[in-house]
Amino acid sequence: MRLRVAIVDDEDLARAVVREYLAAMPDVEVVAECANGFEAVKAVSELQPDLLFLDVQMPKLNGFEVLDLVGRDVAVVFVTAYDQYAIRAFEVHAVDYLLKPFGADRLAAALDRVRERLGRGDTMPVQELAAAAQPRQGHTRRILVRDGPRVHVLPVEKIEYVQAQDDYVCFRCEGKEYLKEQTLGELETVLDPSRFVRIHRSFLLNLDRLARVELDERENRIAVLNDGRRLPISRTGYARLSELLGK
Amino acid sequence: MHPILSRIDRLALYLAVWLSVCALVAGVFTRFGLNWTEALALLVPLFLVYAFVCLSAWYVSRATPLTSGGGSRVLSSSIVAATFASGLWLGVTRGWIAVLSLTAAFAPAAERYTQQLPFLFAIGVLLFMLSLAVHYVLLAFEAAREAERRQLELEILTRDAELRALRAQIDPHFLYNSLNSISALTGSDAPGARRMCLLLGEFLRQTLDVSARQRIPLGDELAMAERYLNIEQVRFGSRLRVERRLDQDASGCLVPPLLLQPLVENAVTHGIARMLEGGLIRLDATRTNGRLAIVIENPCDAEPGGVAARPGGMGLDNVRNRLDAMFGREARMDTRAAAGVFRVELELPCA
Repeated sequence: MRLRVAIVDDEDLARAVVREYLAAMPDVEVVAECANGFEAVKAVSELQPDLLFLDVQMPKLNGFEVLDLVGRDVAVVFVTAYDQYAIRAFEVHAVDYLLKPFGADRLAAALDRVRERLGRGDTMPVQELAAAAQPRQGHTRRILVRDGPRVHVLPVEKIEYVQAQDDYVCFRCEGKEYLKEQTLGELETVLDPSRFVRIHRSFLLNLDRLARVELDERENRIAVLNDGRRLPISRTGYARLSELLGK
Repeated sequence: MHPILSRIDRLALYLAVWLSVCALVAGVFTRFGLNWTEALALLVPLFLVYAFVCLSAWYVSRATPLTSGGGSRVLSSSIVAATFASGLWLGVTRGWIAVLSLTAAFAPAAERYTQQLPFLFAIGVLLFMLSLAVHYVLLAFEAAREAERRQLELEILTRDAELRALRAQIDPHFLYNSLNSISALTGSDAPGARRMCLLLGEFLRQTLDVSARQRIPLGDELAMAERYLNIEQVRFGSRLRVERRLDQDASGCLVPPLLLQPLVENAVTHGIARMLEGGLIRLDATRTNGRLAIVIENPCDAEPGGVAARPGGMGLDNVRNRLDAMFGREARMDTRAAAGVFRVELELPCA
């Protein structure tokens, strides 16, 4: 089976060593070299490689964030000089990783594992891996949304609310909407619970955007946002809201 | 609380000393027409009371420490306090004589008791002054011990900072990444790989050499930082640019070894490595009026929601602690992130 591979690393020399090793291997074609995470996401969309060699420490978008964005479409082998959290994430989930510096035979062994995995039709446990790689303390400060080859970075304070839509969540942010394949439940675990509150089965609201709570003609509670937009509040949602606002 | 009152054994010893002084004074009184029984009946209760009054010298000694001004101020406040205490004691004595005169056994001695009052007043002043002197000695002793303790603490802190600096001096990831670069270069650029090996070897040898020394010239420290940056240059290529300005005057200033190294490493790992396009690291050292000023600047991520430069990172704390331990208030370190530039300023003495 012929593997189409993209190499992602912000250092020229680090890409060069992977490229050199791969050049000697039959049935492997390097289709792209990317110097940062944004290029990697673009390459995955446009060239659909089978495998990424992905550096972890990169500017703006690190390797884990890239994995979170494209991991459903492509197999990933991490390449890093940092063993501590890499090892934690990988040993648990049995995905391969290369520790710099590494030799050609170690890289060949990684390719064998990838082929085996692709042959079985396994997909990577992306959610678990991304969750394991999250910093242990603190909440995420930005949401990354992939839009084909592009990546949108949404600072959490600019998100007005999030709405569940089937298998997706829709972020409302500065007048625009962004879709991401995720559940509201997963999202709740990474966002600051003192800022974002689940006011309804389908809605997660940024408290900063709440102007007031009203009753409609059928005695249902409605959240009115600063821009006048109205969102439904469920009974349990109202209880959460009241608790958070200390009423 | 007074240290004598806080422990029963100290209090017992203190009172024993007072009772012996009391016996001495009673002996003197027997020469002036009082018999032993009469003298002791008068003096024992009075001395026990005065023993406690004299403990107030502790507060006087603290309110007017020897360091607070001239000896005349200490002396005058001592005399005032002693006169006041003795005057108080005189009042108590009069009362006690009045009580004793009511008893049949001591009524005949009342006249002779009253004759001793001026003498007792003088003794009261003297004893209070003596108590003050003892308290001042104790205070000085305590201060010396405190200074010694602080010195010891400082030494421990210095040792600790040095140890941590030694441990932090070679970041293993720096080595891994450098080795990976060498591994890459061997395939495409053998002379480059050799150059990198030499740079790395020189850098490691230098860091080990200087870490054994107390102070090194700033010029040497900066040369080491430069070598480090040369190595990182191979990794980051055009993303890493360096601008260096070193006053000829400043290069001879003696600094603790590896003082700047953590700051330069920070500038690369938290600055350059986090920028898509990299950027410029500025090193600037000047000397004016016996003070050495060092500035290190690197670009940092100013984007909201981005990974901001952490002002309290391990490397920065380490440098700050070492400066504190070595120079105390003579040295200063400020950090500031503004408009996408992270800036560290050091100022330390350079005679």
